[in-house]
Formats: sequence, structure tokens, C-alpha cells
Amino acid sequence: MSSEHGLQRIYSSRSGQLGWLMRRITGVGLLFFVGLHFWIQHMPNGFLATAEEYNEIIKGFEKITPEFADAIAKGKIREALPGEHVITYDKVLERLHTPLWKTVDITLLLFALLHGMLGMANVLGDYIQNASLRKVAVIFCWAVILFLATQGIVTVMTVGTN
Amino acid sequence: MLPVSRFSYHIYRLGMQENIERSGPSRDNPSFRTFLSMISSYRIRAGMAAWLLHRLTGLSLVFYLVIHIMGLRSLGDPAAFELYITTFRNPLFKIAEVMLLGAIAFHAFNGVRILIQDIFFRSERQRILFYAVLALSSIVTLAGGLLIIFPYFIAPFLP
Ligand code: HEM
Repeated sequence: MSSEHGLQRIYSSRSGQLGWLMRRITGVGLLFFVGLHFWIQHMPNGFLATAEEYNEIIKGFEKITPEFADAIAKGKIREALPGEHVITYDKVLERLHTPLWKTVDITLLLFALLHGMLGMANVLGDYIQNASLRKVAVIFCWAVILFLATQGIVTVMTVGTN
Repeated sequence: MLPVSRFSYHIYRLGMQENIERSGPSRDNPSFRTFLSMISSYRIRAGMAAWLLHRLTGLSLVFYLVIHIMGLRSLGDPAAFELYITTFRNPLFKIAEVMLLGAIAFHAFNGVRILIQDIFFRSERQRILFYAVLALSSIVTLAGGLLIIFPYFIAPFLP
């Protein structure tokens, strides 16, 4: 294929343009949302349980269900190390109780999915020669977006309701 | 097919520029083979390394995102969620968590570099900006990484 053909394909790709613009916009958004997300879920702060809180919480669990007691006995749920901060169900529930945090989490979810999977479609397009196969790849990426968006939204909206 | 508005034309031009610059020969004859030959035949320049790292970190993050979203389905059941979390509190996963931070930090800072360069067109500054990206992501990864591994790998060895 001559290089002119290659360029022609770039010039004539309309959906490519839209995807490109969406990746840019979501990229800027993710700067804020991923930054915030990593800060509250991976760094030691009040959104996580301190070691003391966590060890207290799992003692409570032990009394509630045999399932918990069994998992703790087998070490599948482990006590916190000194100074460790742990993500725990109670804390997540507490945060997701507010509509604002639900909105923040769902926005993060949709931005990451759109950005990541449209990026993936672009990458696949770089290595797939066949035009109809490229279409299949794009459709596949959108299917993954829809599927995972549904899973994530169900998680956020139904947490603590059962 | 020409875009209609001035704005979209501008965006469109930037997009082409980016595609041509970033993907080079693989755009003309895209296949895994040309990709490999391109990597091995080029002297690895800053721009090339940046592009490759951006692609690899982006794909790794997508891979993690899928596992992450499906794993969080366990929030439907408190016991299942605590089990899931405990798995990720394994020391090996703590190291993986630092690598995750590294991938995010590099991808985010380099993403900002790409956006800046598209707006200002200062490609002769690419090398300097790339080194700034490496420095910033190293600092963030080191600082955040220390906080992550502290209770596991540092606190036990303190007197
Ligand atoms: C933290 C903030 C982020 C910023 C600022 C950012 C920025 C960018 C930018 C500017 C691009 C280039 C878009 C293009 O030229 O087509 C890009 C590509 C990409 N990003 Fe991100 N991104 C971020 C987070 C993420 C996350 C969380 C993921 C994974 C879910 C991700 C996955 C990807 C992928 C797969 C690509 C395509 C790589 C390629 O075409 O070589 N990014 N990102």
C-alpha cells in the first residue's frame, strides 16, 4: 500500500475524528477523576479504615455470619498490619450513601471506559489491515463499554440495598 | 470528507498530525510485523519511547480496569467484598499497586504533554517536556509508592 493510501484513510475517517476528540476530552476529565480516585482509595486517609478500626470491624463481622468467621479463621480475611489503611465495606457504603459520590464514581466509570476502550479501538485499528475486521474491532470495543458500564452502574446504584 | 466548521477543521488537522507523527509507518501498512520492524529499526528517540510507553501503559490500564469493574461486583455481598480486598492486600499485590500508580502517573503526565504539544505545536521542545514527564511521574510514583508499601516492607524493619 502506498503512503498516500494510508493518509487517505486517515483523512476520510469521520468516526476516527469523533473518537479522537472524545479521547481528548475524557483524558482531561480523567486527570481529575483518576487523581481523586487514587487519592481516596489508595492513600492513607479517612475514606479508609485505620488498622485499629479495621480489626474492630472484622471482630464484629465474626459474630454476624458463620461465613465471615470461617474466612477469618482460614486467614482469607486478614487483620490489618500496624499503620495499614484498609478499604472496607462499611467505609465504601458510607461514602456511596451520598448522591454526589455516586455521581462522581459513575462519571469516573464512564470516562475511563470511553477513554480506554476508544483508545483500544484506535490501537487495534493500527494493526488490523482488513477494513471490515477493523469495524468488528470498533463494535467489539463499544460492546465492552456497554457491558462494563452496566456492571459498574449496577454496582454503584445497588450497594447496600440487600 | 471535509469537516464543516473552522473549529472542527482545526481539531481535525491536529488529529491527523498526531496520527502521522505517532504511528508513522504502521499507519501506511498496519500490521503487527510492521509494528515490530518499526520498533527494532528506529533509533529509540524520546518521542518514540514516549509514544510506546503511552500505548503500553494505556493498554495495561484497560486490562486492569476490566478486572477492577468485575471485581467490584462483590460489593453486593459484604463477606465477598472483604475477601476480594484481602486478596489485594497480599504483599505481591502491594508491589503491583505501586506499578499501577507508576502506569497511571506516566500516562497522565504524558497525556498532558501530548495535549500541550498539540495546542502549542512546539515539537522542538518534545525532548525537554518528555524528561519533565519522566521526572514528575517518578516523583509521584516514589512518594505514593512509599506510602503504599510502608506497613508491609518498611515498618516491620524499623526499630
Ligand atoms: C489520568 C488521566 C489520563 C490522561 C490525561 C490521558 C490522556 C490520554 C491521551 C492524551 C491519549 C492520546 C489520545 C489519542 O491521541 O488518541 C490517551 C490514549 C490512551 N489512553 Fe489515556 N489518559 C488518562 C487515563 C487513562 C486511563 C485511566 C486509561 C485506561 C482505562 C487510559 C487508556 C488509554 C488508551 C488505551 C489510550 C490509547 C493509546 C494509543 O492510542 O496508543 N488512559 N490518553
